[in-house]
Amino acid sequence: MNEPAKPLGNIYISHQAIATIANQSALESYGVVGLAAKNIVEGLAQVLVKDPNLGVVVHFDGNAIAIDLFIIIEYGTRIKSVTANVADSVRYQIEKCIGLPVTQVNVHVRGLRISNPD
Amino acid sequence: MSSNLQFSSSSGEPRVTTLALLDGQDLKVLIEAALTWLKTNQETVNALNVYPVPDGDTGTNMLLTMQAAFNEIQNSGEQNIGKMAHAIAQGALLGARGNSGVILSQLWRGFARALDNLEKMDAQILVNALKEASVTSYKGVIRPVEGTILTVAKDISIVAENSNAKTNDILQILDYIVAEADLSVQRTPELLPDLKKAGVVDAGGKGLFYLFEGMLRFLKGQPLEAAEVSVKPLSAMDLDKIREKIEPGQDFEWVIDFQPIGELDSNKFSDGLKKIGTSIQIGEGDGMYRMHIHVPTQNRDLPLDYVSKLGTILNWTGENLVAQMEKAKIDLEPVSPGQIGVVVVSPGLGISKIFASLHVSSIVEGGQTMNPSTEEIVRAFENLPTDKIIILPNNKNIILAAQAATTVTLKKVIVVPSKSVPQGLSAMLRLDKDGDLDYIVADMTKALQDAETGEVTVATRSVEINGVHVEAGQVIALLNGDLVEAASTLDEACLGLLEKANTADRERITLFYGENISRNEVNRIVDKIRAVYPSPSHESALHESPKQESPSYEIEVHEGGQPHYQFIISIE
Repeated sequence: MNEPAKPLGNIYISHQAIATIANQSALESYGVVGLAAKNIVEGLAQVLVKDPNLGVVVHFDGNAIAIDLFIIIEYGTRIKSVTANVADSVRYQIEKCIGLPVTQVNVHVRGLRISNPD
Repeated sequence: MSSNLQFSSSSGEPRVTTLALLDGQDLKVLIEAALTWLKTNQETVNALNVYPVPDGDTGTNMLLTMQAAFNEIQNSGEQNIGKMAHAIAQGALLGARGNSGVILSQLWRGFARALDNLEKMDAQILVNALKEASVTSYKGVIRPVEGTILTVAKDISIVAENSNAKTNDILQILDYIVAEADLSVQRTPELLPDLKKAGVVDAGGKGLFYLFEGMLRFLKGQPLEAAEVSVKPLSAMDLDKIREKIEPGQDFEWVIDFQPIGELDSNKFSDGLKKIGTSIQIGEGDGMYRMHIHVPTQNRDLPLDYVSKLGTILNWTGENLVAQMEKAKIDLEPVSPGQIGVVVVSPGLGISKIFASLHVSSIVEGGQTMNPSTEEIVRAFENLPTDKIIILPNNKNIILAAQAATTVTLKKVIVVPSKSVPQGLSAMLRLDKDGDLDYIVADMTKALQDAETGEVTVATRSVEINGVHVEAGQVIALLNGDLVEAASTLDEACLGLLEKANTADRERITLFYGENISRNEVNRIVDKIRAVYPSPSHESALHESPKQESPSYEIEVHEGGQPHYQFIISIE
């Protein structure tokens, strides 16, 4: 992805870089206890390769960024709040670090983890 | 046996002196107390919110979460504390808002789990519950971030356990908990860089502190509804100290002295003030009150309106803070590695701005005493991203401190010994940031002689120097540090000084006026100076062949803002 050409050259920011920021931000977000693959096939591939961006898919549609997050949430938390917080955090971090607008953060809850049976 | 606590307005008396056992109803009452105190301090917590997203809603989120928890149990008569705790946790879960809210709901979840099936809670059980709460909270995230509410909850649980070794009195343990919560919150900037950068403590942690403090205050009979209004004695209201603290979003500052009709209800008064502004302080004197407030621009006229309804206004001053702050902003040009960074000592804001426009890299405010320490000077350049530094002390008393500063650093620092602001300015004109350090230093040093320095001020005592006799209160003028003139008015002193400096043979006079002279007075004096040293005549420019070249002088006037000296004059 690139910004408009500047006189001294172009700036290219890879999907990978953006995904890493989203990945880190999501993992620090409260309620998120894991990141998951989109589907089984992709999951297998990502696990085998130890993909650091597991659970994050980056789309770039011209000038703005859209993110899909695939997360696992801790059972017992308010899922609606957790997803809202994660989306907010990820959007903020990416906009702060990259400087390009994030138009969408789609959060897919792939599962819940039960730490404590209540 | 339960303690039969009732939630009601505080009477000022402690509700209990010791607390051994809590049941469901006691817990319900404590939740209400915690919630109320958090509500009172909601905005404080909101203002601290910088992590993870600085959207200023931590206080509100935690409050909504607690409110939801309380709504779940509001009408419950449940005595069993285990069941009550579960209901609270359920309410918190359903109502959790924001990161802090979700974490809070997890804390309650763990807390409730420890109270499972228990009728009542004693100190030991409380300790277990706090520990379980903390453990549960850590499980809810894969990368727990320290320096947040998680840390504070953990620290509280540890202290609770330690204090339980000494006492079984829940009231005492709560005292320890609140003290530790406060300390833990103070430590959060050390654990989370984002907080340190923003200069705040963690909002969520502070919110948790308020929750526990609310419970403690309730038990001690202290008020929860309003942050305590402190009405100070008038003499303690040092206006200068109040004026220093300006928070963002405050545009106007009002200080109003008034005599209330009848008794002033200070709580009601303060509440009314809180609706229109912030930084509220109330002082009481002989039959009168002084009120200080900051208001946003749209509320500019409200303080006077409000106070005038309560009594007779004796005196008022209003100040536009935004305009002041605009004036105080100085933009310094950044310096790159390899360039020369110049540090100057400046006695006034106006002079600082002029130095800034001449590309200095760092300014040390000389202040009232013009005596910055070596450390202050070192701090001014240590963090500049270059190792070539020039210091202009601009005062002969500072030259030693500046020299000392060169010895305590690894950077290449050289002092160009300017003895006055005019000398410093002349030197600055020779600066080429990309030049060779030694060459520039030599150039600047030569330039020090380019300007004559005049200083005009009022003598504080009688003295005889240089054959000039001075009475206290007279206006004196110094030329290059030597007393040359004493007069009864500023105009005479200035003109005498200029004469002694052989200004007739020079070309340019620059005057910097200080903080203890008005612009009007300055203009008056400058007009007199112009009469003796006229500016280039426009007439001669119009004539094709001017009859005679009469000497003309460039005269510039700047607001220097320096203390003590009404004028600092540069003659070139």
